[in-house]
Amino acid sequence: MEQTPPVVLLQAVQKSFPLHQGRDLQVLDIPQLAISVGSYTVVQGPSGSGKTTLLNLIAGITMPTSGHIRVSGTDMTSLPEPQRDRFRAAYIGYIFQTFNLLAPFTAVENVMLAMLFAQTIPKREQRQRAVEILSRLGLSTRLAHRPAQLSRGEQQRVAIARALANDPPVLLADEPCASLDAATAQVVLMALHAMCRESHKTVLIVAHDTAALEGADQVLEMRDINRVTGRPDGVDRV
Amino acid sequence: MSLYSIAWKYIWGRLLASALTALSVALGVSLILATFLLTRGIRASFIVGATDYSLLVGAKSNPTQLVLGTIFRMDVATPNMPYSVYEQLHDDVRVERAVPVALGDAYQGFRYVGTTIDYFAAAPWRRKTFAVAVGRLWDETPPEQPTYEALLGAEVAQRTGLRLGDAFYEGEEMAEYPLTVVGILRPTYSADDRTIFFSLASFWGMNEVARNAAVKPLTTVLVRPKRLSDLPNLHREFNVNPETQAVLPSAVLLTIFNLLSVAEEVLRFVLEAVVLVVLLYLFVALYSAMLERRREIATMRALGARRLTVLLIVLLEACFIALLGGLAGLVGGHGMAALGAHLLSQRGGLALAPFTVSALQPLLLAGVTLLGGCAGLLPAVLAYRTEVAENLAPLS
Repeated sequence: MEQTPPVVLLQAVQKSFPLHQGRDLQVLDIPQLAISVGSYTVVQGPSGSGKTTLLNLIAGITMPTSGHIRVSGTDMTSLPEPQRDRFRAAYIGYIFQTFNLLAPFTAVENVMLAMLFAQTIPKREQRQRAVEILSRLGLSTRLAHRPAQLSRGEQQRVAIARALANDPPVLLADEPCASLDAATAQVVLMALHAMCRESHKTVLIVAHDTAALEGADQVLEMRDINRVTGRPDGVDRV
Repeated sequence: MSLYSIAWKYIWGRLLASALTALSVALGVSLILATFLLTRGIRASFIVGATDYSLLVGAKSNPTQLVLGTIFRMDVATPNMPYSVYEQLHDDVRVERAVPVALGDAYQGFRYVGTTIDYFAAAPWRRKTFAVAVGRLWDETPPEQPTYEALLGAEVAQRTGLRLGDAFYEGEEMAEYPLTVVGILRPTYSADDRTIFFSLASFWGMNEVARNAAVKPLTTVLVRPKRLSDLPNLHREFNVNPETQAVLPSAVLLTIFNLLSVAEEVLRFVLEAVVLVVLLYLFVALYSAMLERRREIATMRALGARRLTVLLIVLLEACFIALLGGLAGLVGGHGMAALGAHLLSQRGGLALAPFTVSALQPLLLAGVTLLGGCAGLLPAVLAYRTEVAENLAPLS
């Protein structure tokens, strides 16, 4: 049987940040990491271990010092920045720990913004689609509300809707439940899980919460600051 | 959603700050427009008023005072000269038209002017045209049969409420000689709108000294020679005369304009400073907004917005604020000009048109929008250069 190529593939990826006096601080060293299509992957590790950097690298927000990153078959590292931005808008949905909704815009407009930047959905369909996604996430009565008028749980659901706006194959979530209470966090995790299963999306989630591990296809543990290692309990080793 | 609506939302999201910034732009634009309209209006008003007649003949006094008093009803009237000067000019073959003018008191601040109906006669060389809106001109009568019929300038009628047939006078001593309104002029947008005209016979009849004097007094004679080449001779002859002086209004105009130029130059420096301050204010406002909004810009970038897109959003925001300020400034500028025109008309006898629309307004609007864009350039570059990962980090 033919094996499906991984939707995310990191090869010999290193990331360093420049320090004073010409020295660099290496925060990531990943010989190889493959994430398969439709999988639900949880990234764990102590603070400063490079979890957010890993997501930023996959999203093309940060460029690796060396190595290659492929998403849906496209080598992100070889794309010029404008194309990388466009690619990210269309292929990657990013959910932030602090939601990062844009304050002057309503829930619908926040979702539509993602479509505006990606330019993959016709303009006349954007509002309709934003309303549909928000309604699916139980926010049909909150469409015209601004972030400040929404609860934290609702804000995070708007952020999820925004990440789904362009129907991207890959969803990256950076500690999406860190600012939420346990009950709301459970709702958000279930929503992400459902997306993964029903819409066959690849979800990569950074989470401290053990609840996030439930149903995970693979768990990546970032053990120390310089490299990524898998856990020896039968999940994955990278 | 479009980039325009994003920029607009950000302006709306910081309503107070945006309104204050737009207000500063509006003030700058208002000052520029009002200054331009007023200085241009003052010049135009002087030109229209002072260039119909090439020569003014009056008693020996200050030439500027003669021109300002006779044409603009400013300043105090110059001393009188005998009526015979007018007769001499009227009979002079070199003169096409001579119009006698006698400046008198005032009714509710509107100057009395005794003259002949020639004052209102049209001529191909006249810039100013007179037309009676209602009623008629007065009947010319000999000096011993004054009719006390008055013709009101448009503003006089409007401000005093006098109508056809109304009799009026100012001061108990004048109750014996009330003037009766027989006509109201259409607006001429000059000092004549603020003048009450009547015949010389009425003028002399109302004046106790003139009434009984054998030699009737006159303030000025407006002179238009048939040929321009006769002007120097006429000018010289009446200046040599020990009782009279002849003044070229254009020469006085030049003196006034020279004085105006100095004032305009000072104003220009002030306005340049105002523009600079407004631009700085706009820049600081946008710059601080960008610093506050770095996280949102980083989020937009993470959502796929290109650097150029965020740069355009900030530039559009700057241009919108400048445009709004510019529009408000145009309204404010005309308002200021109207106020200035009102003051000038009341105190200076100049009638300005403060609502004149020309290419200036669209040019000013385009200029201010462009300058707004320039002020927003650095903040826009700041947005352009925003480091995404750095600014997406959770706030501690």
